[in-house]
Amino acid sequence: MITHFFLKGLDRRVSLALLLILAVAVLVPVLNLVVPEGSPFHLPNYLLTLFGKYATYAALALALDLVWGYCGILSLGHGAFFALGGYAMGMYLMRQIGTRGVYGDPVLPDFMVFLNWKELPWYWWGFDHFAFAAVMVVLVPGLLALVFGGLAFRSRVTGVYLSIITQAMTYALLLAFFRNDMGFGGNNGLTDFKDILGFNVQADGTRAVLFSLSCLTVAAGLLISGGIVNSKLGKVLVAIRDAESRTRFIGYRVATYKTFVFVVSAMLAGIAGALYVPQVGIINPGEFSPANSIEAVIWVAVGGRGTLVGPIVGAVAVNWGKTWFTGVLPELWLFALGALFVLVTLFLPKGIVGTWSDWRAKRKAAPPSDPTPAPVPAE
Amino acid sequence: MNLNEKLLGAIIGAAISAGAFATAADAADTIKVGVLHSLSGTMAISETTLKDTILFMIDEQNKKGGVLGKKLEAVVVDPASNWPLFAEKARELIAKDKVSVVFGCWTSVSRKSVLPVFKELNSILFYPVQYEGEESERNVFYTGAAPNQQAIPAVDYLMSKDGGDVKRWVLAGTDYVYPRTTNKILEAYLKSKGVAAEDIMINYTPFGHSDWQTIVSDIKKFGSAGKKTAVVSTINGDANVPFYKELGNQGIKATDIPVVAFSVGEEELAGIDTKPLVGHLAAWNYFQSVKTPENEAFIAKWREFTKNPKRVTNDPMEASVIGFNAWVKAVEKAGTVDTDKVIDTLPGIETPNLTGGIAKILPNHHITKPVLIGEIKADGQFDVVWKTKDLVPGDAWTDYLPGSKDLEADWVTLKCGNYNTVTKKCG
Amino acid sequence: MQISASRLARHLFLVLALVAGLLARPALAQDISGALTKLTADSYADTGEAIADLATSGHPRAAVIVQAIQDKTLEFDAATKTVAIRAGSGVVDAATGETIAAPPAGLSPVRVNNRVRSAIAAAMGALTLMSPDPAKRREAAEAVFKSRDQDALPALEAALAKEKDAAARTALQTARAALVLAKTGASEADRLAAARTIRERGDQDAVSLLRSLPADTPAAIRDAAQAGAKSIETSLALWNSAQNALYGLSLGSVLLLAAIGLAITFGVMGIINMAHGELVMLGAYTTFMVQEVIRTHVPGLFDWSLAIALPLAFLVSGAVGVAIERTVIRWLYGRPLETLLATWGLSLILQQLVRTLFGANNREVGAPTWMSGSIELGHLTLTTGRMWIIVFALCVFVGLMLILKKTAAGLQMRAVTQNRSMASAMGIRTPWVDALTFGLGCGIAGIAGVALSQIDNVSPNLGQSYIIDSFMVVVFGGVGNLWGTLVGALTLGVVNKFLEPFAGAVLGKILVLVFIILFIQKRPRGLFALKGRSVEA
Repeated sequence: MITHFFLKGLDRRVSLALLLILAVAVLVPVLNLVVPEGSPFHLPNYLLTLFGKYATYAALALALDLVWGYCGILSLGHGAFFALGGYAMGMYLMRQIGTRGVYGDPVLPDFMVFLNWKELPWYWWGFDHFAFAAVMVVLVPGLLALVFGGLAFRSRVTGVYLSIITQAMTYALLLAFFRNDMGFGGNNGLTDFKDILGFNVQADGTRAVLFSLSCLTVAAGLLISGGIVNSKLGKVLVAIRDAESRTRFIGYRVATYKTFVFVVSAMLAGIAGALYVPQVGIINPGEFSPANSIEAVIWVAVGGRGTLVGPIVGAVAVNWGKTWFTGVLPELWLFALGALFVLVTLFLPKGIVGTWSDWRAKRKAAPPSDPTPAPVPAE
Repeated sequence: MNLNEKLLGAIIGAAISAGAFATAADAADTIKVGVLHSLSGTMAISETTLKDTILFMIDEQNKKGGVLGKKLEAVVVDPASNWPLFAEKARELIAKDKVSVVFGCWTSVSRKSVLPVFKELNSILFYPVQYEGEESERNVFYTGAAPNQQAIPAVDYLMSKDGGDVKRWVLAGTDYVYPRTTNKILEAYLKSKGVAAEDIMINYTPFGHSDWQTIVSDIKKFGSAGKKTAVVSTINGDANVPFYKELGNQGIKATDIPVVAFSVGEEELAGIDTKPLVGHLAAWNYFQSVKTPENEAFIAKWREFTKNPKRVTNDPMEASVIGFNAWVKAVEKAGTVDTDKVIDTLPGIETPNLTGGIAKILPNHHITKPVLIGEIKADGQFDVVWKTKDLVPGDAWTDYLPGSKDLEADWVTLKCGNYNTVTKKCG
Repeated sequence: MQISASRLARHLFLVLALVAGLLARPALAQDISGALTKLTADSYADTGEAIADLATSGHPRAAVIVQAIQDKTLEFDAATKTVAIRAGSGVVDAATGETIAAPPAGLSPVRVNNRVRSAIAAAMGALTLMSPDPAKRREAAEAVFKSRDQDALPALEAALAKEKDAAARTALQTARAALVLAKTGASEADRLAAARTIRERGDQDAVSLLRSLPADTPAAIRDAAQAGAKSIETSLALWNSAQNALYGLSLGSVLLLAAIGLAITFGVMGIINMAHGELVMLGAYTTFMVQEVIRTHVPGLFDWSLAIALPLAFLVSGAVGVAIERTVIRWLYGRPLETLLATWGLSLILQQLVRTLFGANNREVGAPTWMSGSIELGHLTLTTGRMWIIVFALCVFVGLMLILKKTAAGLQMRAVTQNRSMASAMGIRTPWVDALTFGLGCGIAGIAGVALSQIDNVSPNLGQSYIIDSFMVVVFGGVGNLWGTLVGALTLGVVNKFLEPFAGAVLGKILVLVFIILFIQKRPRGLFALKGRSVEA
C-alpha cells in the first residue's frame, strides 16, 4: 500500500527529476573525490559545499510548494521552520565540540562561558545525543506548525492575513533568537563546529556524504509530496486551494487537512535546515529574517508553483544567479533579484516549469486548440 | 529531453567549466587581494567605505610598482550582510580566485562565520574593526581595538578628575556579542574599582532600535541621583542616530550626563545634526581631526581618490590601512606571498599609524595602538581631549573575566591562541 | 568673530552683577593674574580652577573672560604667559581689553572639555544671579541648585531679597533651600522649612536631594526629608504612567504615519505593497534634498524646509507610486499575493537605486528650530519634535478621511474599489482612478517619510524597519478601515510602551507580535472588520 502511495506520485516529470537528482547525488561526490585534481572534470571543494547548500534550499522550496502550490497557503515564515531545524542540528554540533572550545569547558559552549553562564539551560539537555537532536529537527518545527497552523486554520485565517501573521511569527522568533539571554548564542549564533557523528565536518568525505544526503532528502521530499498530491488527500487540498468555502460546505474538515500538510511541510523544511547547518558551518538568527522567507517564495514562483519539480529548479537557478552576481557584479545583484521578482510575476506567473508544460501541452494538442488558457490557481 | 534535465545539465556543465576556468586562470603576473565587505544590506552603511579604502591602498601600492615586482589585483565580492554568505564568499575568494590575503568583515558574527574557512583553506584575514576580544586565531590578524584598547581607557578617563569624576554608570548597548562582552568586562572592572552594583545600570536594545524615549528618560532618572553619571554606549550603527536625536531633544547635555561611545565615528555622525551633542565622547584609536603630517597627507590623497572633497575618514579605515601596510611589508620581507611564511613573518612587523605612532604586530596577532578620547564638535568632527601616553598593546584575552584571565595567545613561541597559564596546556 | 548686541548687553550686566558681588565680598582682591597664569598651563584642572577663581574675583572682566573660554575665543601663549581674546582679526588683552598690536605667534585656544564646561556653567550660575532677564535668573538659580555650591549662598540671598518675578523667586528659593538643607550650621527650623520647599518641587532631583543629607543631620530633619521623598515618589509614579502613555501615543503616531498610506493601498485596494517602506524612504530623501538646496542657496529658509519638503515628498512618492501602478500593479489586480512578490522586488530595486545614487551612508536631515528641544509640563518632558509628529499624524489622518469621504475623487475611489464594473458602467474611468488611489497612498507614504526623517536614520534601509510594523498595524486594525488603522496604531504604540519598562525593549516587541498573532486568531479580520459580501472576495 505504501509503495502504491509513492508510485502513484510518479508521473513522468517527477520520475525524471528523481532520476536526475539521484544521479547528481552520486555523480557530484565522485567528480569531487575520485577524479584527480588536475583533471578538467574534477569538481572543486567549494563547489561541493555550494551545491550542498543549493540542495537544502531546494528541499525548503519543495516544502513551500507543497503548502503554497497545492493548498494555497502562502507562508512567509517557512524560513522559521528551516532555521529551527538548523538550530536543533547546531545545538548537537555545538555539544560535540566538547573540550575543544577555546575555554576548554567540557559542558558549556564557548559563548556561555564568556557570558558567565554557570550551567547548561534545560532546553540544551539531550542534544549531545544525535538521535535526540535528529528527533528534535523534525519535532520542533512540526510542533510549532501544529500549534500555529492548528490555531490559524481553525480560526479561518486565510490569504493575506495568514501570510502576514506567518511573517509576524518568523519576525518574533528572529527577535527572540537575537536575545543573548535566550541561550542560543545571540547574533553570533552557533558556529565553529568540529564533528558530526565522529566525522570531521570539514573533511571532504563528510562533505560529500552530506551533499548526497541533501540530494536524497530532496528526492524523498519529492516522493512524499508526489504521493500526497496524487492521493485523494491531494485532491482535497487542491479543492481547498481553489474554493475553500465550497470544500468546507461539502463536508471536509478544511482545518485538519491544512494543518496536516502544513506540519508535513514544516518538518521537511526542518530537515533541510538541519542539513544546511553542517555544510555552511553557522546558524544564526539571520535565518529567521522575513526577507529570507520571502526569497524562498520567489524560488518557488520562478520554478513554477504547484509543479513540485519547479521549486527545485527555481531554488537552484536563483541561487546560482546570486552566487554568480554577488561575485562578478556585486552592485547589480539586488537590481537583478528585484527585476526577477517583478518579471516572473508579470510574465511567467506559472514559473519556468509551468510555462514549459503549458507550451508542450499546446503543441501536442491538435490545432485549433482550446483558446482559453488553463485556469490560474486562485489565491 | 525534459527542460529540468536540460537546465540541470547546463548548471552542472557551467559549474564544471567554472571550476576548470578557475584553475586555468591562475595567472602568475599579479597578486590577488580579496575584499570581503558587504556592499548591500544593513552593513553596507559601514563596510562600503572599507572596500573603498582597500581599493585605494591597492591603487597607491600599484603606483609605487606593486609588491615583489607584481601588480596587486583586487577581487571584490559582496557578502550582502548575510553571515552564511560571508563563509561562502570567503571560500570562493580563497579556493576559486586564489587570493593571497583577504581584507574583510565588520561584525563579529561575520568573522566567526568565515573563521573555519580560513583555518581549513589556510589563508590570511585582516580584520579591521574594534571587537570584543576573546579570540586569537593563527589565520587572522586583528588590527582593530581589543577591549583593553578602547573600553577600559575610556572608563579610566571618565573616572579621572578631567573626565568629570564619574561615580554612576549606565552601560547601554545593542544586544549582541560585542556589547555583552564589553559590558561584562566593564562591569567587572568597575566593581574592581569600588563601584557599587546599584550604581551600574545595564540596558540592551535590539538592532536598529529607533524609539528611545523610554530608555533616554530612564537614563535621565538614573542620572539624577546626585552622583555624577555617564553613559557608556556600545549601541551599534543604525540605532545611534535616533538615540542621539532623543538625547538632544530631551535636553541631556554632555555636562550633565556625558555619553562615551565605542561605535560612533565620523561616518555615523555624518547623519546627525551634532550641535546638541557637543561634548559627548567617543573612544577610538584614530580620529580624522588628529593633526599629523601622515594623517593630513592620507586624507588629501583619499579625497582625491574618491573624488569627494568632503569624504570623512574613521578608525576602522585606519585599521584597514595599517593591516594593508603591514601585509605589504611582511610579503616584501618574506619575499613570497606563501601563507605560512607571511603568517610567521607578520608578528614583529612595524608600520607607522596615522596618529604619529608605530603599529607593531604582536605575537597574539593584535597590534599596538594609542587610545584617544574625542569630544564631538559642532561640525561632526572630534576634538581629542585625552590620549594615552604610550601605545597600548592589544590583549586578546581580558584579565577581567573568570573564563579568560588565565588564557594567553602567542603564535611565535607557544604557537597557540588560547594557552592556559594554569594548566600549562594549549586549548 | 562678531559679538551680537544681546551678548554685549549680557556682558554689561555680568559686570554689574560682579560689582554687586564685589560689594558683598569686600575682602576679595581684584587680582586675576594668578587665574590668568593658570589658564596658560594647558590643563583642564588648572583651567577649571582659574574659572572658579575668576568667578569669585569680582574683577570687571571676569565674566567676559569666562564667556570667551566658552566661545573658544580665549587664547594663550605659554612662553610669554599672554592671555588674549580673539576679536575678529585681532586680539585684545584678556585682563585689560586693550588691543594687542603684536600678538605672540604661539597663541592657541584654551582647550575646553566637559570638566571645563561644568566649571563655566557653575561660574555663570553665580555670576548671572543678578541678570535683568528673569529667565536668565531662573537658569542661574537652577545651576546653583544643581551645583549645590555652598559659597553661592550669600549671592543667592542677595538676589532673593531683590527678586520680583514670581517664577524666578520660586527657583531662587528652591536653590536656597537646597543649600540650607545640607548646611550643618543652619537652624533646625530653617532646615525643616527648606525640606518643605524642596518637597514642593516634587521631581527626581528633589528626591535625590532629600535622600542625600549629610551624615550629621538631626533625626527630625532626616525624617521630614524621608517622608517628603516618599510622597514625591508616589506622585512621580503616577506621572510616570502618564509619561508612558504619552510615549506610547508618540510611538503610535509614528506607526500611524507609516501605516496610513498602506491602509489605502492594502486596505482599500487590496494590494500588498511591500515597497511601501521604500516610498517612505523616498520621502525622507526628498527632505534631505530640499534641505541641501536650502543650505547651499537660501539658508534663511531652513525653518521652512519641512513645509517645502511636504508637498514635494508627496509628489515624488506619489509619482513613483503611479508609475509602479501603471507598469506593474495594473496587471495583477485580483492576485494580491502576486502583488506582494512583485512589490518586494520593486522594494529591492528602489533600495539599491537610492544606495547607488546617494551612497549607503546616513544622510543628515536637520531639525528646524521649532521642532528641537522639549517642553516641561508638570513632570512630563514633551519632546517638541515628537509632539509635532503626533499632531501631524492626526492631521494627515483627518485630511485623508476628508478626501475619501467628502470629495468627488474620494467617492470615485471608494466606488471603484467596492464595485469596479458598476463604477465603470457609471462612467468612471476606473484605470485612472486606480492609478490615482495608489498614487495617493504612496504620496502619503512620502509625507510620512518627511516626519520620520526627523527621528530616524535617513538611509536606504529606512523603509525596511517600518514595513513589518505597518502591516501589523493595518491587519490588527482591520483591513479597509481607516479608523481601525488609527486605533490599531495607537493601541500598539501604547501597549508597547507600557510593556517596555517591565519586559525590556526586545521582549516587549516580541510580546506585542505574539499578541497580534493570537488576536488575529480571535478576530481574523482585525479590530474593525468590514462586514458584507465583498469581504470573502
